[in-house]
Amino acid sequence: MGRWMSGLRKILTLNYGQKIFFLATIPLLLAAVAISAIVANQSRETAEREIALLERQLIEAKKAELQNYLSITRTAFVNIYGRALPDDEGAKLLVTQLLSAMLYGQDGYFFVYDYDGNNLVSPRQTDLITKNWIGLTDPNGIPIVDELIRIAKSGSGYHSYDWTKPSTGESARMVAFVIGLQDWRWVVGTGIFIDEVLDTVAAARAEVEARIQRTFIYIGGITLAALFLVFLSGQFINIRERRLADAKLKELTQRIFDTQEEERGRVARELHDSISQILVGVRYALELARKRLLAGDERAGEHLERGIDHLNGAIQEVRRISRDLRPGILDDLGLGPALKGLIAEFANRTGIETEFETVVFSNRLEADAKIALYRIAQEALTNIERHADATAVSLKVYGHSSGATMRIADNGRGIERQSKDKQVDSGLGLRNMQERMEQLNGTLLVLSTRQGTVIEARVPLSRMLPPQGTARATA
Amino acid sequence: MTGATRVLIVDDHPMVAEGIQSILETYSDIDVIGSLTNGQEAVDQVQNLNPDVILLDLNMPVLNGLSATEIILERLPQTRIVILSMHDSSEYISTALSHGALGYILKDVPTEEIKTAIDTVMQGSRYLCTGATESLSPKTQDGREPLTSREQTILLELAQGKSNKEVAANLDISVRTVETHRKNIKRKLGISSTAGLTRYAMEHGVLQGTGVGL
Repeated sequence: MGRWMSGLRKILTLNYGQKIFFLATIPLLLAAVAISAIVANQSRETAEREIALLERQLIEAKKAELQNYLSITRTAFVNIYGRALPDDEGAKLLVTQLLSAMLYGQDGYFFVYDYDGNNLVSPRQTDLITKNWIGLTDPNGIPIVDELIRIAKSGSGYHSYDWTKPSTGESARMVAFVIGLQDWRWVVGTGIFIDEVLDTVAAARAEVEARIQRTFIYIGGITLAALFLVFLSGQFINIRERRLADAKLKELTQRIFDTQEEERGRVARELHDSISQILVGVRYALELARKRLLAGDERAGEHLERGIDHLNGAIQEVRRISRDLRPGILDDLGLGPALKGLIAEFANRTGIETEFETVVFSNRLEADAKIALYRIAQEALTNIERHADATAVSLKVYGHSSGATMRIADNGRGIERQSKDKQVDSGLGLRNMQERMEQLNGTLLVLSTRQGTVIEARVPLSRMLPPQGTARATA
Repeated sequence: MTGATRVLIVDDHPMVAEGIQSILETYSDIDVIGSLTNGQEAVDQVQNLNPDVILLDLNMPVLNGLSATEIILERLPQTRIVILSMHDSSEYISTALSHGALGYILKDVPTEEIKTAIDTVMQGSRYLCTGATESLSPKTQDGREPLTSREQTILLELAQGKSNKEVAANLDISVRTVETHRKNIKRKLGISSTAGLTRYAMEHGVLQGTGVGL
């Protein structure tokens, strides 16, 4: 059970190409097996019906042949028999001689028994003559002479049994037609071997089996070809997917590098342009103050004042740069206060009407999740400011039993309606958001209409901190 | 109030701590009784040192200034705490005040202002750095007042089915203090029963992940 489950899990964790392969091949294999079974069954049934019909027809033809032979023969001796008395031995002898001479085909002959079972005519197997054959049965236990006598007594009829073939000396199935000469108490008959018929039927059966086998081979071949095709397309998809993934990864890496370089450049510029210029100014002021102090000049304090002012400016600058790089509020106070600061600043800058709601809990999210949601909010607000032409924005955070959700809604013109050249820019932003949420196993929903855009980022419960160690969680 | 004001400085940046200490030492009515480097040290030593005013850095390792404020006030409720910060946003200020701080000043204010802040809180008044005004608490999704870190800790403990006594033992505070926090939590959330607190925590996804109480 456990192994089965882990096997199932393995199948479920197959990559895309392998999944397609399995999805395509399993039904194909099932269909091939089912078709083979049905085809085989139906062919056999049809063939069996046809073969049975053929057998019947062939045997009927043989029987008709027999009847013809006997009726011809009958006309040959009917004159003698018709005029003779029951005890006319001369006539009987004449008829036996006549019948003994009538041989046809390879194994065709006439035979005569009296009703007591004594053989009177058997031209091919003369050793039978004058002996009594009552109780004779064939190798399968079918009574021969007794049955022939019974049929003759009732007029005429067919009987089928195994008999030794005179030409080969082997036992074969024979069909006999007999008539009774009631005045003489004679059985007159002739038989025909139907082993050829049976051979023909067996050959037909073998032919059918061979045909079914061929059909199996065709179906198998087609199935294999189809499997191969599916496998090839699976491989193709796999390769294509990998290539796409590679390209995506490359692009992503490039973007990370670009962003990193850009950010470094910006920080370096800011440090150089603001902080170091201010600090240089401080040094000049302090040097001047020292010079004046050494000279006993009263104005030394003035320069110290200016130095302190400059330093304050530097502190403010550092604070601004550091906040831009990473909002410390996110770590210190949590997502709610950080977002509140973000949206308050947004409202001040843009004059757009804002609404903000958060939860009574703070710092219950993993650091990664907090940053992701904060950056998504930042990105969304930037998009709104640049492209959306909105007059109202609402930002809401709420916790629920399956995680936490941040919802940003505006009443702008929606993403699609934004100018074409900006599309790439905002598209990239959305992709960034998407990637951030994917990293967290979360989801990002974007609903954009002419009435505005709603972005909903949902973080799963697994990204929320457990209640233990809460004293430290806020530290 | 007799003699000098007993001031304790808690900051993990030694240069800042030293700077403030040397400036404060120039005032005869201020006695700097110690300088510690994080919130946990302050919590551990506050009862021995028994300061009148604590200048507490907001952002510190081990235990930050906000959580430390609450715990210190649980142990020595008469202590006046002034938060030292690099951040001037209203979210910081309102959060500091909701955690029980009496003052909030930026580290880069003119040094005289630190003295003014100490004097003001010693008179029992609030002192907020110039320009900062006490802003409203952030509006929450269901209109409830945000919980402080201590209240949050206690709510989660209670929601897991622990008794006042167990919570008190876990957090090393008195049962009375737990009771006070509990009252505040219930008032803030507008919930009267412990079962209600558990349900609220669960519905907001803060109780899961433990396998407790589910």
